[in-house]
Amino acid sequence: MVLIIDTTTKHIGKRIAEELLRSGKNAAGFEVIDTTGMHISHCVGCNYCWLKTPGVCAIQDDYEPILRKMSSADQVWLVSDTHFGFVSWQTKNIVDRIMPLVTMYLKFKDRQMRHVMRYHHQPDIGIIYTGEGDQAYLERWCQRTALNLGSRSLGVFSESSKKEAVSCML
Amino acid sequence: MHVVIINGSPRVPKYSNTEKIISSFAKGLSEKNVTFETYAISNRKTWDIIRDAYIKNEEILIALPLYVECVPGLLLEFLETLPQKDEHTRLSFLLQSGFAEGCQLRCGEAFLEKLPKYLGVRYGGCLVKGGNFGIRILDEEKQAQATKPYQAMGRLFAEGDGFFREEAKKFTGPEYYPLPIRLITGLIFKILAKKMFQKAAASWGCQVPLDEKVWEIKEFNDFPKK
Repeated sequence: MVLIIDTTTKHIGKRIAEELLRSGKNAAGFEVIDTTGMHISHCVGCNYCWLKTPGVCAIQDDYEPILRKMSSADQVWLVSDTHFGFVSWQTKNIVDRIMPLVTMYLKFKDRQMRHVMRYHHQPDIGIIYTGEGDQAYLERWCQRTALNLGSRSLGVFSESSKKEAVSCML
Repeated sequence: MHVVIINGSPRVPKYSNTEKIISSFAKGLSEKNVTFETYAISNRKTWDIIRDAYIKNEEILIALPLYVECVPGLLLEFLETLPQKDEHTRLSFLLQSGFAEGCQLRCGEAFLEKLPKYLGVRYGGCLVKGGNFGIRILDEEKQAQATKPYQAMGRLFAEGDGFFREEAKKFTGPEYYPLPIRLITGLIFKILAKKMFQKAAASWGCQVPLDEKVWEIKEFNDFPKK
């Protein structure tokens, strides 16, 4: 399943979904979550999801259903506005709160310390952005973020290249 | 020199590793007769005051924990509220993380290197250091030991060259651990650390395994391993 999480002020997730439908190649199914109007807090770094209630975030807001969907999706596409060349704080909050998907346990992988994943299945991650994103930096960050999940980056695409992004969707 | 130090951690100062690091760093500043004022963004109600201090001062240091390879979302939100300034203002960073190796913080550092330009100010360098996960759960004496090296970095910063000196670069420690260390540490993770973490969790009231699969929906775990 392809999960598109749209935090943009222009709600471009809808248009991406239309493009995906037009392409006729989406066999795995998809869902668009537009976070407008949702209450999604930032991660407060309490570590409860690792040490007190493993796998469960302590913050009671609209995030948990999104995380559940992220956990079961094959691909997660973060559709974000950009500031400072980077994703918006709304998108970063969504990513910061993936911590319940990893455990406190650690291991070495490819010479680096990594958290042991809580579940076997992890989604690959892609980014579609509006505005003046720093393409090279966003690609680097997306790769590193996917590394944290034991998955892979699907790539980073500007809004004007959304057709290319759609061609990478299942 | 007078430094405005902003704690960019979303955690309240009482539980913030970054806050403990700042305290030690500030001791080093004081030893060199550099004055400072400290703020924490975890309380949104103080953002106007912090922004005012940012506007009125020219030596700014943001200390922050690494959150998923970059700046915490809350700090990004705060940064978006800052006005443009000019190059008379210097913005430096102290980036810390739980993971110990230098390589873990480089993606975050790369963002911080470019950030001052977006704000119109001058970059003062970034002090990068990992291995800080447990500071807040140590007793006071061990906390002091763990954060003492930052005091020397405070003294270094007081000399006026930001974090561009070789001592600041060396402070990070190894980019990657050598193979023998990785093998030994990996073994410790497998045997001792799991028990240690489980014990720490029990003291927080946790009664389930730390790798509990709370959403044990059958299909999740039927996926082939990557």
